[in-house]
Amino acid sequence: MNEELLTLGAESEIFRLHRWGLDLVRKRRPKKPYLLESIDENLRNTRISRECKMLTIARTLGVPTPSVYAINYEDKSIIMDYIEGEQLKTIVPLINDDERESLCKMFGQYLAKLHLGDVVHGDPTTSNLIVDKKGRIWMIDFGLAEMNATLEMKGVDLHLVHRALETTHWNYQDSMLNAVLNGYSNVIGNEAEEIFERMKEIRERGRYH
Amino acid sequence: MRLNCIGLEGTAHSFGAGIVTDEGEVLVNIWDMLSPNEGGIHPREASRHHSELGPKIIKDAFHQAGITPSEIDLVAFSRGPGLGPCLRATATMARTLAMSLNVPLVGVNHCIAHIEIGCLESKFIDPVTVYVSGGNSQVIAFAGGRYRTFGETLDIAIGNMLDVFGRYAGMPFPAGPIVERTAKDGRVYHTLPYSVKGMDLSYSGMLTAAKKLYDEGKSLPDICFSIQETAFGMIGEIAERAIAHTKKKELLLTGGVARNTRLTEILQGVANRHDIAFHRVSPSLAGDQGAMIAWTGILQYKADDFLEISNSYVLPKWRTDEQDILWRDSQ
Repeated sequence: MNEELLTLGAESEIFRLHRWGLDLVRKRRPKKPYLLESIDENLRNTRISRECKMLTIARTLGVPTPSVYAINYEDKSIIMDYIEGEQLKTIVPLINDDERESLCKMFGQYLAKLHLGDVVHGDPTTSNLIVDKKGRIWMIDFGLAEMNATLEMKGVDLHLVHRALETTHWNYQDSMLNAVLNGYSNVIGNEAEEIFERMKEIRERGRYH
Repeated sequence: MRLNCIGLEGTAHSFGAGIVTDEGEVLVNIWDMLSPNEGGIHPREASRHHSELGPKIIKDAFHQAGITPSEIDLVAFSRGPGLGPCLRATATMARTLAMSLNVPLVGVNHCIAHIEIGCLESKFIDPVTVYVSGGNSQVIAFAGGRYRTFGETLDIAIGNMLDVFGRYAGMPFPAGPIVERTAKDGRVYHTLPYSVKGMDLSYSGMLTAAKKLYDEGKSLPDICFSIQETAFGMIGEIAERAIAHTKKKELLLTGGVARNTRLTEILQGVANRHDIAFHRVSPSLAGDQGAMIAWTGILQYKADDFLEISNSYVLPKWRTDEQDILWRDSQ
């Protein structure tokens, strides 16, 4: 049972492994010693169970996600499919305008499918989208996802897309955001306007005025 | 030739004047904070405070620095973001000084000044900055020629949350330090809403829940303890996300709430976990004060970024990422 460390993030360690004839990853949420232990324990439990559940729910809503095979509450880890591909974040500077816009449009469509099912992703950044060899998008990292989403929660989700684009892809942020919103409203229809309005309103909050 | 810059800060309830040299020496840094007997800050009262006390504070600054006004080469002022009336009162004093001394005028972004004075003190080159105060809670880092806000509060600032809860529990303004002292005797953790969304966060739900605990008669030290652990834990988490995302090697804590020891411990823990450098800005440079405006004014002036008097209107909603940072190498 050889495991190879793939990435070390803020939240988790990802190991790659082969088991049951499958290509898999194990995502473990280690302790955060700087947090109060009861907060940390609670967050880690909530987030792994949420991630398992929401990966599956997202798939039933038509969004490609890795399948989950096992969950371990002792070491706070889950085992799921390994998706071969690159993060959208890393390929954005390497592809042409059309490719970038078509991927962003797909991103918007998937986000809309989640929102239609009253699910929000909670951390919809370009790091959490894997583009595979066939140019398909897979959505990952559902630890902050929530069900029974309200208009406000959907507005926040879109605001987070905007935020991620402006901090990570500032050169392309306008065209990328337009493509995401375009794909989003293709799926949602007229009701998208209300969510866009909320997104703008959220952006203005919290600022000093 | 040494350059002396006087910086005037007056974005909210404090008015400050600081004089800094272009070698980074702080010659003087004094301020006065409006502390209402009850309630919060009224913008008009704060601007009156600045207009009434400002001239004396400026005069005292010259006196304490041991220099005459004629030795000033540059005037900088907090141009925004902030409360309109306060910004205008401060800008008026800055324009008057610049015109009467016949020196250039620089308009400084308040949030960026907090980062730059922190970099001066820590000698950090390119940190992830956690800027927490009564009016702001942001995680900022430099990327592509600008300071970008990676995360911020979606509703109220951390300092505002502490002050409003404190006022509800009968504490005087500012309540943050009293919440911190009171929390030391807290033992029982009451679960409060932990609201992190991506790299953004929200405190209004926590405020409501904390007030409810107070109404239920829970022990005040326990509530303060629970507020600190939850609210600062959230900041630790988004700081950690920003570090993992940007791969930067320095973490800077600044703003008035940087004075909090528990928050400092948490961010030190985040830095240790990623094996990067950490610095908490010292108390005299953490809050709103003129030295940070003066120092940033020097950086900006040397990059040829200064204002005509006729164009020196204030920018109450000036966002951190709206200014091209000409004094830093953009990669």
